[in-house]
Amino acid sequence: MPASADELLALLDLEDLDVNLFRGRQPETSLQRVFGGQVAAQALLAAARTTDPAYVVHSLHSYFLLPGDTAVPIIYDVERLRDGRSFGTRRVVARQHGRPIYYLTANFQKAEEGFEHQDVMPEVIPPEEGLDLGAMFRSRGGGSTEEWEREWAALDVRYVGNSRQGLPEDPAHPARARLWIRVNGEMGDDPLQHLAAFTYASDMTLLGSTLVPHGVNISSPGMQVASLDHTVWFHRSFRADEWWLYDQESPSASGGRGLAVARVFTQDGTLGATVAQEGLIRHRD
Amino acid sequence: MPTVARDLLELLDLEELDVDLFRGRQADTDRQRVYGGQVAAQALIAAGRTVDQGYAAHSLHSYFLLPGDTAVPIIYDVERIRDGRSFATRRVVARQHGRPIYYLTASFQKAEDGFDHQDVMPDVPAPEDGVDMIGLMRAGGAPDADALAREWAALEARHLGTSRRGLPEDPEHPSRARMWVRISDRLPDDPVVHLAAFTYASDMSLLGASLAAHDTNPAKVQMASLDHTLWFHRPFRADEWWLYDQASPSAGGARGLSLARVFTRDGRLVASAAQEGLIRPRRD
Repeated sequence: MPASADELLALLDLEDLDVNLFRGRQPETSLQRVFGGQVAAQALLAAARTTDPAYVVHSLHSYFLLPGDTAVPIIYDVERLRDGRSFGTRRVVARQHGRPIYYLTANFQKAEEGFEHQDVMPEVIPPEEGLDLGAMFRSRGGGSTEEWEREWAALDVRYVGNSRQGLPEDPAHPARARLWIRVNGEMGDDPLQHLAAFTYASDMTLLGSTLVPHGVNISSPGMQVASLDHTVWFHRSFRADEWWLYDQESPSASGGRGLAVARVFTQDGTLGATVAQEGLIRHRD
Repeated sequence: MPTVARDLLELLDLEELDVDLFRGRQADTDRQRVYGGQVAAQALIAAGRTVDQGYAAHSLHSYFLLPGDTAVPIIYDVERIRDGRSFATRRVVARQHGRPIYYLTASFQKAEDGFDHQDVMPDVPAPEDGVDMIGLMRAGGAPDADALAREWAALEARHLGTSRRGLPEDPEHPSRARMWVRISDRLPDDPVVHLAAFTYASDMSLLGASLAAHDTNPAKVQMASLDHTLWFHRPFRADEWWLYDQASPSAGGARGLSLARVFTRDGRLVASAAQEGLIRPRRD
């Protein structure tokens, strides 16, 4: 997996095969399955490549269908659903071995102004006081430490706390987890690259919040965890290489599934995005 | 719009044109544009008709592309995207006049057990203590109250308040609106009917929550649903009161995002909803 901002940008640089058809490369990785955030980010960029740059993405909705194969590239096939005066819509099919592994639909809008409001950022410790996630894995011991450093070095992650430890009590919301995240290194100023890099990072920790009340985590023995869908609403532009608070909450788990919803705040309190993901959270005894 | 539950059921009873191809009828309505909740509910039914009975819908994601024409039926064309051991996925294109007006993807799952938790229902007044919206408009002398009563007769809604009026203060969440909703007549017990009827109702008020923070006359705002998303957590009856706890985390760029939690009276969290919509101040 990319180990720096530059490697992440290289991963997100798609090859143009034909009109509306792209190929995304694979990183060196020991992961068995393609990381969902990579597919989402590459698919978003494929959609954006077919859209007039005056239109900016404001939402994406997607479903994961099959595990991606890390040994071969991914084909992104873009369907132009609509080009309107204010909005444009694209659907992207990600394919490997002739089979769809992921579907994404994204909506783009020409900039305009209107009503403004946003939720207020919760009071949290600054990123500098958060626990470095790599260090946390080290303190836990086990094989996941090296994997963490090899696979996720492109991201800087500081743990703030969860409902069981570190966050103020809120019994009405039993499954919360907060982290500060940024891309590890300077990224340049193209806003689309920041949206894509954020999309990449947004899939990493979200499902973990659905497990908070249950005393297990994604890498606990017997856990089978897989993203089912992934949704991002982009509210205001922000830099993925500067700290953003990932304020994650899981309103519900049932039937082997958990839903997580997250708000993304920059350090100055701007609400940059909202994210939602449902995932399979299965425990095999 | 359906005036009684029977009309709603007829609306949700699609005609099968061919394998994976369906036609949905239109309600008797004064509206110029098809109500989004109707398209979403019909598309969900179309998707469900092509899925094995052992699988139940647990989520849908959809985009509205063009206003629907109330004068002609809607064609629902279903693509079978996946049939797995645990999950099945369908994509539905809703078409009129040869053009797609709406795309929906829905995921279905075979029932299984697992981890269980949920948010706690907020403390709210009972539906009986809420304000009947149509009655409120009629008492206020609104000229279109009768028309609205006719359009929305299939639904009963009791308003509990918004951030600006009626709800306890919560400055961190400036744009909230809560109401109790139910289908006004008894529905048959088929769980699919309840999911679809809830889907129908879920599009009515959601975008309004993104205006709750703003002192504006809704008639001066151009509003249109852009997307619509539902996650079905637990089975419930759409014809018994459910709390629609709506909050808009953000508005900007002429768009508003609303999220909602759906609780039954006994406090079970049965669904979550999300919708982004165009909320554009009219220039006049």
